[in-house]
Amino acid sequence: MANITLSPLYRADGSAKYSKAGYSVIAAVSGPIEVQRRDELPEEAAVDIAVRPAAGVGGLRERHLESIIQNTLRRVILVSAHPRSLIQFTLQIVTSPEDGTVTGNLPQAASNLPVLPALLQASILALISTSIPLSMTLTATLVAVNSNDTLIPDPSVQQIKLASSIHVLAFSSHGELLVVESEGDFTMDTWEEVYQKAKLICHGEEEYKGESESEDMSMNSEDVSNLENVLKDAVERKIAKSQRWKESMG
Amino acid sequence: MAAQTLVLPGEAIPSDILPIPSNPSLALKLGPGLRHVPPSTITSVLAGSLCIDQKKNSIWVENNSGRYIPQPNDLVLAIVHHSSTDWYHCAITPHTTLAQLPQLAFEGATKKTRPQLNSGSLIYARVLSASKHTDPELACCNPSTGKSEGMGELKGGMVFDVSLGMARRLLLARQREEGGLVVLEEIAEKVAFEVAVGRNGKVWVKSGGVKETLLVGRALQETDREGLGVEEQGRLVKKLLRGI
Repeated sequence: MANITLSPLYRADGSAKYSKAGYSVIAAVSGPIEVQRRDELPEEAAVDIAVRPAAGVGGLRERHLESIIQNTLRRVILVSAHPRSLIQFTLQIVTSPEDGTVTGNLPQAASNLPVLPALLQASILALISTSIPLSMTLTATLVAVNSNDTLIPDPSVQQIKLASSIHVLAFSSHGELLVVESEGDFTMDTWEEVYQKAKLICHGEEEYKGESESEDMSMNSEDVSNLENVLKDAVERKIAKSQRWKESMG
Repeated sequence: MAAQTLVLPGEAIPSDILPIPSNPSLALKLGPGLRHVPPSTITSVLAGSLCIDQKKNSIWVENNSGRYIPQPNDLVLAIVHHSSTDWYHCAITPHTTLAQLPQLAFEGATKKTRPQLNSGSLIYARVLSASKHTDPELACCNPSTGKSEGMGELKGGMVFDVSLGMARRLLLARQREEGGLVVLEEIAEKVAFEVAVGRNGKVWVKSGGVKETLLVGRALQETDREGLGVEEQGRLVKKLLRGI
């Protein structure tokens, strides 16, 4: 079950902590702030992402994640609202499951993807907490496919090791696919299944499937509510807290 | 009063909850957090509670977080960063481009007698112009009358940080009725002090002694942080006053 805290850091303009499936990420956002001349864009805000691993200094793996996140968030943030400025993200991975580097029968020695959904979720929550204008919100999830074509949402480290392919998908609040990163061997049909499954987890698209069928599918995952509702709940709690003073006015 | 519902960024506002103007020629006013997508869709861009004022025919998203973005006519507390021949360059929020304050935009300032402000001095000013493409411009006097209206350099005292929502509430004309704030009134019954509230989430407090100044600042900060109601504020003030 995802665990969300909005604005845990009081010095940052906005921040969020997101924990799920053994990964825990703190995101801090500063912005809009002054941008260095060389990064300045005349019509748009520059988006700068720094991913920091749980231990050690960042390397190639972090740069790869940063580029994926940056490309995604540029679509989500209304960058034209703050031209010639910078929106700076620091994503600190606080904990990751015991094997930080996941090795297995995947093409690369170590997989970058398992932490990506947590990073994306933490950054969107931090953006909401910063009150930066957004065109939509997003939700992201990880789905693994094992050798006999069974889909495993939110797989454990062991399951990722044995998986034939893993997929990260992110959907906007309008139900559009925003990010898809896949690793391993899979067929197009498998990918279609993964897509439907991920969409259900993120967006809870009930009208697409029959009512009974969608219930069956959500039985597998622990949380019945989809990620979008989880996000909404967290925001609702924060707003309720900040408007507590209104209660006494009646 | 305004009705409220929670909105998330990207949600379309259903047209049936939009206020109906009393006069059809009256345009609908969109406040912060909303975006008009032609031809007739209105979507939210922030997360917060959607407020609708039927009487004023306006709709906006209220939230209490993030960084201050200068808007014309806002009163702000700024710090002079440096001065050039005709301007003071002032910081309204940290790490943003500096706002410009003309050296002659003070009450009674002429080319010969202009106020001397060193870097680091605190000023209370009004935002004259601010747009996303230009640096904000400040003034310490009303440009039409030339009167200071309480603005200018603030000497002594201390600055306390509060949230942007708290600053908005403190600047309301009727704090108790609209903002649910009685903390300043309650303290004022026992302690004499001056305050200047900047829309950028800063409050300047000056009082007879350091103890009293801190009391006022702490009371404001705690009211803000804990979201205290009217009665709780009264209790807080009583508790703090006992310490002096």
